[in-house]
Amino acid sequence: MSLVRGLASRLTNIAAHPARCAAAAALALAVAGPTLLRGQEPEPDRLAKLDISSHYAINVLMDSANVEGLPAKALRSKAYEGIAKKADGRQIVAAVRRELIALRVARVQLGDVDDEELMAAADVVQAGGKPAQLSAFKPRIKNRSDLQALTIWASLMARGVPTEDASSAISKLWQDGADDATFQSLWNNVQSDILRGLNPGTAFQNRIREAPAPSRTPPSKGQPPEGQQGVREGSE
Amino acid sequence: MSEPKVAIVTLTTALLVAAPMGPRLAAQIVSKLEAGQYTVSDGALPMSAIRFAPTFEWYRPYAKISARGSAFLSDQQLQIADGIVSGTFTSPTVYGVRAEMLGNASRALDDRSLGTDQVDVQTRVHVLFHDYGGLWFGGGVARPWRVAVVSSADVADAGLWTKVGDLTNTFGVATFTTTFTNFSFSKIAALHDTMSAAMSCSSSTPVTNVAGVVSAMPALSVAASTSDACDRQSRFSDLEASVRWEFGPVQLIGQMGHRFGDSYDVTPDSRRWSSASATMWISDRVALIAGGGRQPALPLRGLPARSFGMAGLELAYSPISKSTVPVALPHTVLVRSFETRPGANGMEKIVIRVGGVEGVEVMGDFSDWTPLTLTRRGRDLWELALPLAAGVHSINVRVDGGPWAPPPGLPTIRDGFNGEVGLVVISRDKGGH
Repeated sequence: MSLVRGLASRLTNIAAHPARCAAAAALALAVAGPTLLRGQEPEPDRLAKLDISSHYAINVLMDSANVEGLPAKALRSKAYEGIAKKADGRQIVAAVRRELIALRVARVQLGDVDDEELMAAADVVQAGGKPAQLSAFKPRIKNRSDLQALTIWASLMARGVPTEDASSAISKLWQDGADDATFQSLWNNVQSDILRGLNPGTAFQNRIREAPAPSRTPPSKGQPPEGQQGVREGSE
Repeated sequence: MSEPKVAIVTLTTALLVAAPMGPRLAAQIVSKLEAGQYTVSDGALPMSAIRFAPTFEWYRPYAKISARGSAFLSDQQLQIADGIVSGTFTSPTVYGVRAEMLGNASRALDDRSLGTDQVDVQTRVHVLFHDYGGLWFGGGVARPWRVAVVSSADVADAGLWTKVGDLTNTFGVATFTTTFTNFSFSKIAALHDTMSAAMSCSSSTPVTNVAGVVSAMPALSVAASTSDACDRQSRFSDLEASVRWEFGPVQLIGQMGHRFGDSYDVTPDSRRWSSASATMWISDRVALIAGGGRQPALPLRGLPARSFGMAGLELAYSPISKSTVPVALPHTVLVRSFETRPGANGMEKIVIRVGGVEGVEVMGDFSDWTPLTLTRRGRDLWELALPLAAGVHSINVRVDGGPWAPPPGLPTIRDGFNGEVGLVVISRDKGGH
């Protein structure tokens, strides 16, 4: 009770000083005002920060993606990335166009896969991977995700590993049933060798030889490819 | 409850309540509490006291508000010694140049009867040479109350700093800073009976505008009441050099200075000073601190020169790095590690380790490429919980407003804008890598 009385007494004391009240109110308004006002505003379209022609071009590209059933969110994200990194409009439009082309190629090669896989495959295409080599990832395997394999593949090429070497080795590892940890470990080892000054191609060749040979998982034993049976055997 | 006690309890409570709220706020909140034995050889403070020094900081990339204070427990009496509230606004760096505006409001209670206040504002221009050196210059005004200073003080300062080493190498990183600060103001001087003292006065008229001072400073009230005081134009300059050396869990800070000015403005005990302190982190949130030395008088704040020694413990919920460089620097390669861990409620926790910096941000497709500020959780530990969906996410990180870069240890690809992004893979059935 005495605590409540003390608090009431202090509040009364503060109320008796209009200057203090005004200062406290101004401080509260300064801190809370922008947050409250922001809550009332509709989310602005950040693409509007671009010049008109770039904005229009990106909208057209996103419409195309929607019509073709490709994930337009990937294009929007690429445009936002360019804006955040203060790239100019022309650079952003070019990057979004490349993304759309890569998504189209990935769709042709992989068929009807989910957006995440499509975008990961698009990264591979943009990094220089040959579209035909993506077909190794076409078979759907239950409880197995190829996101890590595609990501490592794209990154190795971006680090300077020759496209042909990276593509054939990663495809083979994937077909041999390598798990995410194997791909990550391969990338870690190659990266550390590159940082030590080794040529990326040599580093990759050395490390791929050391990569454990995973036991092949026969499609007929417990993990049948979904709707693509026989493709795996055919590609080996 | 007395006013000092209320202030101390409020500040400490704010620290404890606000710190866990950090992850839910867009801005960064950091806090620490320092407690230890503090001994002074002169001045009005008790010879020996237990000192509590809570600090609280709220900052966004270009703005910072901080509150800090210290209180002493002596003879079962808790009394506030000083408190300061500061605000800083910093502009983005353009061609290596940054502007900074600072404002401070402070109160010092040297003993139970004497309190002084000061408000000051200052602007600075910083020129940065990448992240290994820089200089700044600036100026401002300080308005003290209840001290023997009857005008606003003009403050001009300039400084140089350089950084040597790297946090990743054995010898750590050392920052050397040199500052020069000039103060110019009118103060009340007692005439006594010497001609030179009288000649140093700008006006020999009795001091009439010192009502606030008279009540607070008995010695001057005598002088004023007998018309033996005058306004005197005073000026002094401080040249100070400091070094901060950080290696592993140890931080060493040393500083020394010299005050220039004539004998009417600079007392002999404030001509030269030096002090040093060592901080040893025994965990991410607990550190041992020891230090000592001499502090010069601060005429604008009415604080006398004193020698001190202290040893204590720093309990830091979110510790604040002690920066001797007065502006945040862009860093590029200091991020030591990056990982994502499964968090509570289906969230993913981004964990970054980078020491000696003021702020860490990430952005990626998951945030629509809007920068998100991480919360400091330890000396070099930064965290952020995010609802990351399964899939591959592009991510960039930056430190202290520097350039965006891919986090270390992640696969990277080119971003199409002359840079790189890191790729985080979040599996459907488990956390990321």
